[in-house]
Amino acid sequence: MMTQWILLAEQTSEGGLFDLDATLPLMAIQFLLLATILNILFYKPLGKAIDDRASYVQGQIAQAKKQKEEALALAQRYEQELKEVRKQSQGIISTAQSEAQKIVSDQIQQAQQEVIAERQKASEEIEAERVEALSALEQEVTALSRQILEKVIGLEFAQ
Amino acid sequence: MDLANTLNLLHSVNLAAIEVGEHFYWEIGKYKIHGQVFLVSWFVIGVLLVASIAATRNIQRIPTGFQNFMEYVLDFLRGLAKDQIGEKEYRPWVPFIGTLFLFIFVSNWSGALIPWKLIEIPEGELSAPTVDINTTVAFALLTSLAYFYAGISKKGLGYFADYAQPSPIMVPFRAIEDFTRPLSLSFRLFGNILADELAVGVLVLLVPLIVPLPLMILGLFTSAIQALIFATLAASYIGEAMESHGEEHHD
Amino acid sequence: MEPLVAAASVIAAALAVGLGAIGPGIGQGNAAGQAVEGIARQPEAEGKIRATLLLSLAFMEALTIYGLVVALVLLFANPFA
Repeated sequence: MMTQWILLAEQTSEGGLFDLDATLPLMAIQFLLLATILNILFYKPLGKAIDDRASYVQGQIAQAKKQKEEALALAQRYEQELKEVRKQSQGIISTAQSEAQKIVSDQIQQAQQEVIAERQKASEEIEAERVEALSALEQEVTALSRQILEKVIGLEFAQ
Repeated sequence: MDLANTLNLLHSVNLAAIEVGEHFYWEIGKYKIHGQVFLVSWFVIGVLLVASIAATRNIQRIPTGFQNFMEYVLDFLRGLAKDQIGEKEYRPWVPFIGTLFLFIFVSNWSGALIPWKLIEIPEGELSAPTVDINTTVAFALLTSLAYFYAGISKKGLGYFADYAQPSPIMVPFRAIEDFTRPLSLSFRLFGNILADELAVGVLVLLVPLIVPLPLMILGLFTSAIQALIFATLAASYIGEAMESHGEEHHD
Repeated sequence: MEPLVAAASVIAAALAVGLGAIGPGIGQGNAAGQAVEGIARQPEAEGKIRATLLLSLAFMEALTIYGLVVALVLLFANPFA
């Protein structure tokens, strides 16, 4: 079999396994042509598509990041505002409370004062009435004692 | 003797036959070319062109179907070039290295998958273009030219000064390397693919059915790896020609 | 072809492939063994190790192929025939 092959190879007077001829440069030219055509048809458009997509995705990511940052800033601002509003309401509540406290204490004081004044007045009146009563009593005592004297001792002594 | 008779019988029914070193000659002027190589290479080129047109006919931002596949291929080719040449310089070389890979890969696989032998031509037989030494030598020489071009366009004639870079003793070795590189590139590819076809051919000659299948699958694997190796080596030669020794010391 | 040259060529072809397969065989065995060791030690690096292994195996394979090419030259394109 082997000799058969060898003979076969021998029979083809020209060529053989290592037959370098014009195929080589033509193949090289053909290959370069193919590379050029594929560059126009395949590498450039598809590469551009890939790059475009990459930059698009990059842009989307950057945009999303920016939006996220904005949202975060907004949330922070709202938080701040909320805090402020809470503080304000706290202030309002506390002032209202203190005002109410003041009113309450004022009224209590007033009431106390009124009570005190009333009591004072009452005691004064009592005192006055007592004095009056005492003086009236004294007069009566005087009159009575005079009468007693008149009756007992007689009128002239009495004078 | 029985075996020999059987083999002869197989031979005679032409189920399997091995032909080596026969070519279907075309004559152009006074030059001869191997027609069978060009026929199959046109088929390969046609496949590549159809594939790229199909992929880029309607490019969409969200790729579907075939565009997706070809984008994967392009990504792979770009990664191959980028790994060897470097992020900065790889872009202009993608078409060259990518086409090397695609052409060799499609050639090898078409040689392994498509039963070219069934198509009768007057002389020789159709097979993968990479089985012909002309093709592989052409690619290897193009690779040599490419890395010389890359080195000289990057550093001018200072490229050759780099031959004496670590020490002047290196000059002859580097010069010899310039010859051994295309030689080993072309013979590696040629030898692997031819060995594959021959091994499958011999097995088919002995046992025509089923038994050659594992070897054929191994052949598919080897031919894919060979395409990858050819492209990787071409890229690494180009990258090596362009990398500057001066800068390396700085960073 | 002279019978002597044919015989010598066939023997030389067999030797070219056979001897040429020894070195790469040992080398490939070494490389594959080391790769398995590496994978066993670091299973997460399997993909990278496998890719590198395949590439280097193909490089070693090329050496045998050179022997094969020489054998093919002797068989099919014998310069002494």
